[in-house]
Amino acid sequence: MDRRKFIKNSALASSVVLVPSFVKALDNTSFRTRGFKRLVIVQLTGGNDGLNSIIPYTNDFYYKARPSLAIDSDIIRMNDTLGLHQSLQPLERLWDDGHLCIINNVGYPNPNRSHFRSMDIWQSASDSDVYLQNGWIGRYLDKYGKKPYNAIEVNEALSLAMKGSYKNGIATKDYRVLYNTSRDPFLNKIVEHYNDTHLSEHNLGYLYKTFIEAKSSAKYIYEETKVKLGTAEYPSHNFGKQLKTTAQFINSGLDTSIYYTSLDGFDTHASQANRQKRLLDIYAKGIEAFVDDLKSQDTFRDTLILTFSEFGRRVAQNAANGTDHGTANNVFIIGENLKTQGFYNDLVSLEDLDENGDLKYEIDFRRIYATILKKWLEADDDLILNGAFQTLDFI
Amino acid sequence: MQTSHIQHLYWRAGFGILPNQLFNLKNLTRQEVVDQLFTESESVKKISVDLSELKGIKNPLELRKNKELRLKIVEFNKKKGVELNKVWVTEIANNKAQLRERMTLFWANHFVCQESNAMHIQQFINVLRVNALGNFGEFVKAVSKKAAMIKYLNAKQNRKSKPNENFARELMELFTLGVGNYTEEDIKQSARAFTGYNHNFRGDFVLRRLQHDYGQKTFFGQTGDFDGDNIIDIILEQKQCARFICEKIYRYFVNENIVKQHINEMVSVFYGDYDISKLMRFVFLQDWFYDEKNIGTKIKSPIDFLVGVHRTIPLKFKGERDLMKLQHLLGQVLLRPPNVAGWKGGSSWIDVNTIMVRLRMASLLVNHAQIPHKEKGDFNDAFRKYYFKKNKKKLPFKVEANWDAFFSNYGHYSNATLQQNLLNTKLNNGTEAFLRSLNKSSLRDYCIQLMSLPEYQMC
Repeated sequence: MDRRKFIKNSALASSVVLVPSFVKALDNTSFRTRGFKRLVIVQLTGGNDGLNSIIPYTNDFYYKARPSLAIDSDIIRMNDTLGLHQSLQPLERLWDDGHLCIINNVGYPNPNRSHFRSMDIWQSASDSDVYLQNGWIGRYLDKYGKKPYNAIEVNEALSLAMKGSYKNGIATKDYRVLYNTSRDPFLNKIVEHYNDTHLSEHNLGYLYKTFIEAKSSAKYIYEETKVKLGTAEYPSHNFGKQLKTTAQFINSGLDTSIYYTSLDGFDTHASQANRQKRLLDIYAKGIEAFVDDLKSQDTFRDTLILTFSEFGRRVAQNAANGTDHGTANNVFIIGENLKTQGFYNDLVSLEDLDENGDLKYEIDFRRIYATILKKWLEADDDLILNGAFQTLDFI
Repeated sequence: MQTSHIQHLYWRAGFGILPNQLFNLKNLTRQEVVDQLFTESESVKKISVDLSELKGIKNPLELRKNKELRLKIVEFNKKKGVELNKVWVTEIANNKAQLRERMTLFWANHFVCQESNAMHIQQFINVLRVNALGNFGEFVKAVSKKAAMIKYLNAKQNRKSKPNENFARELMELFTLGVGNYTEEDIKQSARAFTGYNHNFRGDFVLRRLQHDYGQKTFFGQTGDFDGDNIIDIILEQKQCARFICEKIYRYFVNENIVKQHINEMVSVFYGDYDISKLMRFVFLQDWFYDEKNIGTKIKSPIDFLVGVHRTIPLKFKGERDLMKLQHLLGQVLLRPPNVAGWKGGSSWIDVNTIMVRLRMASLLVNHAQIPHKEKGDFNDAFRKYYFKKNKKKLPFKVEANWDAFFSNYGHYSNATLQQNLLNTKLNNGTEAFLRSLNKSSLRDYCIQLMSLPEYQMC
């Protein structure tokens, strides 16, 4: 979107409803002045089994620890020791093009094996014994955000990651429904009649103000999003729809730096093989379509995709042909301008495990965040992460 | 007692009041109304769902050996977790003991805990229910010995040979004193006193003697062979403990902004015997509780909001998980706190997503997602039809609204009474004018309209 159009639209929005001046003031500058880079986060919810995704196919300890679950056939060999799960085959093309970087052994000190807690740790970027009420993207918005739609979660509700102390991103699973919801005629009238500036300081005023902001965000997203862009075929799964919507937003040039998507179901305590195969298939085919979609509009070069899970799984399988909650895991970085292509590092030893039989982490996940914040989003990484984390070299 | 004051009391100490009930109370004095509130909450109704499958396990070692059984129990617990959530929310809405329900909800966000074993969750909820209006000291001790808490704050891993300080720290930081009112050494010493805390499969408290540190501990200047209860007693001796709890209660029940004088008054009532009932009774009897700046200025929590709608128009959900889905959309799922500090409350309930959900929720639940909209002389509802047609099949919940119950409670009252009953706050001027312009021929439509206002979010 060009700047002129943005101003036109916000002027339109302001004239339709009697928007109080404090809302108009926010419309003045485009968030976009900070550059055109976008980050797409893909959260694999439930704890993806990294060892059966990126398979150490020459490692005896791997096969010993997983007598009936270790994968020994149809492996896509990427180097002498590691190979991709067959469902990840679409990633091979990205690998060949130099658009994929896989970082092994990512975790954090004193790992927590609860889904909820570990997810909070990843989303808030906190130490494992520190409880933060806001997320790392939220804090980015606190510092740089102008509008809720500067960060969009393509889902029903907002994750902790997207909540700041003062500002939040916006969540929308279907932007048309969001828009229709926001322009209900009764509620339009209510906003139209909102004229009590004294209220703005109080809780009730905050409610009105937030609704007006929601309306203008919904309208912006709806009006800016072009419907017929791209022909890529996405998997007919909710995750495919999320990525399709995200591509639509990106290709429409929305003033959005961060998109948040997720794929759930990775908590494979039992009968893991088929379930993970299906999920990784949805993931990889979705990503393939997404990248093609972006490439067709020349927006891939300004987009970086980060895939993570709240933890990996235990090295040894359990008795139900599944795996229990573990610790360190691999993280995928996908983009056109990668400095390190392929594997960023080797897998840590499968012999030297912690007292629970889990991998020992090598790279703190916040170093990945710091790298993206500093080198990609050109943001103050120390401030947003509440501390200094040494950056990595993948971008 | 003034009706607006009764309504205020019933929203803060309970979850709203029906017009009939209000009518019956208005000739009573404040003292009498408050007395009645407490009398109604004297009895304790424990929550109970069918846990026979879990209780039927005679030998817990079976679970360790039999993976299939273990997985079955995991599924069972998940299912029962959803059921417990539903049963609890239903009790909040229907139980006559409204004050007890309110206090239980308050304490659930004080003694924050999350657990997957349904039996242990149920036990924990019931400890909250039983102690909600009791003695605070006994309450803390009971909580410290519940299986759910022992697991949640790693008391189980707290052993003489390798102390885990998590529980000791949160006990002081979150439950009793507040951050900065103790030293790191206090945490170390008190953690030793809680070593060996554990529970059995049934959830009963067990002290593992071999893991308990019987040595001398020095805590807040006192030295002795303290156990966990002794530590809690010493904490209660600190006036700061009473102050910390009074401030939290004031912020929740009265106003986010603390008035020091009021807190001092509360502390002098609470410190010493730590009688929660006595403290709450004191608060509800004070003139300052009914100060205009405290009425209708609080943002309802998602549970307040949902329960409030339900108490006006009883709802019946078809899907087992529907109620939980709603809580998720609104940003507060009971039994699933965001973290050990609980929900922040206040304006943090509201962001650009949740405000939209809230304003549309009543219409979504009871009127096929339509907010009735007809101004005088305005009959153009093409949009409404369009929206309805497009979204009819997409409604995410199957819910039945009991309008008969609504009419039997509100049917003989005027629009003005309905408005007074549903809105606790002073209206925004423009909204008030707009409401006046509405054609109020249908009480039902007007109810939905009122519930779709930002003002309805306040209590």
